[in-house]
Amino acid sequence: MRKRLAAFIRTEPEGGPSSAGTSVFWILASSASGLLIIGWLLPWFVGPYDAGVGYSAQDALVSSPTGIGTILIYILAVAMVILFVSPFAEAFMRFRGRTFGPRADRIRLYLGIAGVVLTGVVWLLYRVLGEEPLFGSLQPGEISDSAIWLTMYGFALAALVYGARPWVIGRQTLAFGTAVLPFGIFLPLMFHQAPDFLLWAAGSLAIYMLLALGLNVVVGFAGLLDLGYAAFFAIGAYACASFASPIHNIHWPLWILIFLGAAIASLFGAILGAPTLRLRGDYLAIVTLGFGEIVPDLATNNVFNLTGGPNGISGIDQPHWGFMDFSESPRWYYWSLLLVSIAVIVLLYNIERSRVGRAWVALREDEVAAAATGINTTTTKLLAFAIGASVSGLAGAFYGSLVTVVTPDDFSFSVSIAVLSIVVLGGIGNIAGVILGAVILTFVIFWALPNMDAWSTTLSSTVHIPALANINFSSYTYIIYGLALILMMLLRPGGLLPSRARRIELESAGESESLAAVQGIA
Amino acid sequence: MALLELDSVTKRFGGLLAVSNVSFSLDRGEILSMIGPNGAGKTTAFNCVTGLFPITSGQIRLDGVSISGLPPHRITKLGIARTFQNIRLFAFMTAVDNVMVGAHWWMKERVWDGAFQTKRARSEERSVQQRALSLLDQLGLSRYAGSYAREMPYGLQRKLEIARALATQPRLLLLDEPAAGLNSHEKVELMQLIARLRDEGLTILLIEHDMRLVMEVSHRIVVLDHGEKIAEGSPAEVRTNPRVIEAYLGTGASEATRSA
Repeated sequence: MRKRLAAFIRTEPEGGPSSAGTSVFWILASSASGLLIIGWLLPWFVGPYDAGVGYSAQDALVSSPTGIGTILIYILAVAMVILFVSPFAEAFMRFRGRTFGPRADRIRLYLGIAGVVLTGVVWLLYRVLGEEPLFGSLQPGEISDSAIWLTMYGFALAALVYGARPWVIGRQTLAFGTAVLPFGIFLPLMFHQAPDFLLWAAGSLAIYMLLALGLNVVVGFAGLLDLGYAAFFAIGAYACASFASPIHNIHWPLWILIFLGAAIASLFGAILGAPTLRLRGDYLAIVTLGFGEIVPDLATNNVFNLTGGPNGISGIDQPHWGFMDFSESPRWYYWSLLLVSIAVIVLLYNIERSRVGRAWVALREDEVAAAATGINTTTTKLLAFAIGASVSGLAGAFYGSLVTVVTPDDFSFSVSIAVLSIVVLGGIGNIAGVILGAVILTFVIFWALPNMDAWSTTLSSTVHIPALANINFSSYTYIIYGLALILMMLLRPGGLLPSRARRIELESAGESESLAAVQGIA
Repeated sequence: MALLELDSVTKRFGGLLAVSNVSFSLDRGEILSMIGPNGAGKTTAFNCVTGLFPITSGQIRLDGVSISGLPPHRITKLGIARTFQNIRLFAFMTAVDNVMVGAHWWMKERVWDGAFQTKRARSEERSVQQRALSLLDQLGLSRYAGSYAREMPYGLQRKLEIARALATQPRLLLLDEPAAGLNSHEKVELMQLIARLRDEGLTILLIEHDMRLVMEVSHRIVVLDHGEKIAEGSPAEVRTNPRVIEAYLGTGASEATRSA
C-alpha cells in the first residue's frame, strides 16, 4: 500500500514530498571516502611510524616487496584510491553536466566487495602469521585493529552506495539507517584503545536522544507544549534509584526497572495530563513548567523519606549478568542503550504512522474538527502525555544506573529546556531530525562548550594571539550556546531536518511575504 | 419516526440569545435546508447538534434518543457528521490521511497494534486506506491524494471535507454552506453530489445561502431569523412567505418596492 500511495505522491502537481533525494547518497559516499582515508592514515598518527603498526600501504613500501601480503596491499591501495576519489570525481562530473553511468557503478561495487574481503584476508594473515615476510616485523599493537575496522567499513559503505544507488536514493531514511547501524554496533570494538569517554559520551547522547524523542511525541506530534518534561526523567531515575540501591535495600535488575520507570512515568504523565486537558498553548506550558519545578522540589524535600533529600540517592546498582559486567566497561551500557534506542525509534515511527499518530496530528492541526470527526480528544491527549512520559521514564532509569547517583539538581529546568531545544533545533515532529538534533546538541553541550577554554589556549599559541588565551570561555558558555541556537534558528527556521509539514508551511509563508512585497503591502 | 428532532432548543451566550426555542425534525432520507440572514443562528444550531456547544435548554434527539450533552466524538459515533462553514481540514495532513481520520472511531487498531505493526494493524490500515482512496476517487480528488489539504484548490478542499465526513459512516450529514466560494461549475457538481448522497439514503441538513441550490435540492426549508424559527415548509411555500421576505430585505421592503 505504501507503494501505491507513493505512486499517488509522485503524480501530485508541484514540488512534492518524497523521501527520495541524493543528499544521503552524497553523505554516505563521502563518509566511505573519509573512512578509507582515516583507516589508511590512522597508523601514521597513532603510533610511531617505525613501530611497523598497521597493515596499510606504507608498510608494504618499507617491508620487502615479497609475499602475497604485499601484493594484496597494492591491490587494496588501488581500490582505496579509486573509491576515495570517487565522490569528488562524481561531483566534478555532475558539475560538468555528465554522469559516470552504471558500468562505473558496477566496477566500484566490485572494488568495494573486493576491498572488504581482501582487508579481511590481510587481517587474518597478520593475525595468524604476524611476521615477515608479509608485513615486516609487527608488534601485536591493537591500533591496526581500528584501522582494519574503519577500512572495511569504508569499503562496505562504498559497495552499498555504488552497488545500490537507486535504493539509496529512493529510500533515503532506510538506507541511512542501514549504513549507520553497523557503525553503531561495532563502535566499542572498532576502537580497541579508544578511551571509554567516547562510550560515556555516546551513553549520554542516547539518553538525551531518548528524552527528545519522547518530548517530540507531546510537542511535535500532538502539538502540546511541555516545559516540565524533565520531571518525568526525574521520576524514572528516582524509580530506578529506589529499587536498585542500598537506600531501601531493594535490588531489582535494570531490565525490569526500565519498564517500571517507563510505567511510573507514564502514569504521572497521565496524572499531569488530566487536569490540563482544557488548556492549550501558553497556559498548558505554564502548568507543565510548574510540574517540572514541583518534582525536583519534592525530591529535595525528601517526601515520605523516599528520595534521600538534596543529596539524592547514591550507590545505584550496576548490573552484572554473566560475562556482561556493566561496571567494568561502559560498552555494555552502550549496547543496551543502542538496542533500547533502536526499539524506541522503531516503535515511535510505527505509532506515528498508525491510527493514533494520525489522531495526534489531527488534534494538533484542528482540535474542533478532530472532535467533530470522531476523535476522543481527551484520551488522545492523555495518550500523548503518557507515551511521551514513558520514554522519558525509561531514559531516566538508564540514567540512574549509568551514573549511579541521582540528585534533584540533575533534573532542573535547564534539562527541560535543553531537551526542548534539541527537538526544535532538530525539526519538530520529525524523528530523524530529532535524532540529528540530539547528536549535534549533545556534542555542543557536553564536548564543545566545556573544551572551549582548552581550544582557545591551543589556538592562541598556534596563531600567536595571546589575548585569545585570556578569554574565559567557560563563563560565557550559555551566551555562546544561546547565540548558536539563535543563529541556527535564523538559518534554518524549521530545524535541521524539518518535517514535511513544517517545510511547506515555511515555504508558503515566504511566498505570501514576497507576494505582499510585490503588492506593496509590506 | 424522525431521524433528528430539535425540541425547543435554546442556546444563550451571556445576554445573547443565539438560538431561541427552535423546533423542527428531519425524516430519514430527507434534505432539509436551514436558511436565514447572517447571524440568524444557523451555525450555532449546527454546533449544538454536533455537541460543540452545550445547549441552554431543550432537547436534541437522534432516533428518539437524547444526544444533548454528549461530547462531539460520541455524537459522531452515533452517526452525525458535519462540514464547516470556514473549511476546517487538517491543513498539514495529506488528503488520504484527512479521510482516514474520519475512519478513526470505527477502526479497531489499538496503540500497541500500531506500535508493533501487528498483522491486524497492517491489514486494517491497508483496507481503510484503500477505502479512503476510492472515496477520494469517487469525489474526483484522487489526483491530490498525497498532497496536503492546504495545497489543494479551494473548491476541492470543500469536497475533501465532505469526504472526511462521509468516512465517519454517518446517517445524517450536516453541510454548513458547502457552496460558499464555489464557481458555478463546482456548484453544479455539488448539487449532483448532494443528490447522489440522498439517493444512497443519507439524510442531509444543509445551511446554504445560494437560493438556487437550496430551492433545487431541498425537500423542506426551515427559516431562522434572530435565533427564532420564522417559517418552515416546502421551497414553494417558503419563497412566498411574507415574513421570510421581510427578514431578508428588511421591514418595509415590500412598501418600498411598491412606491418605486
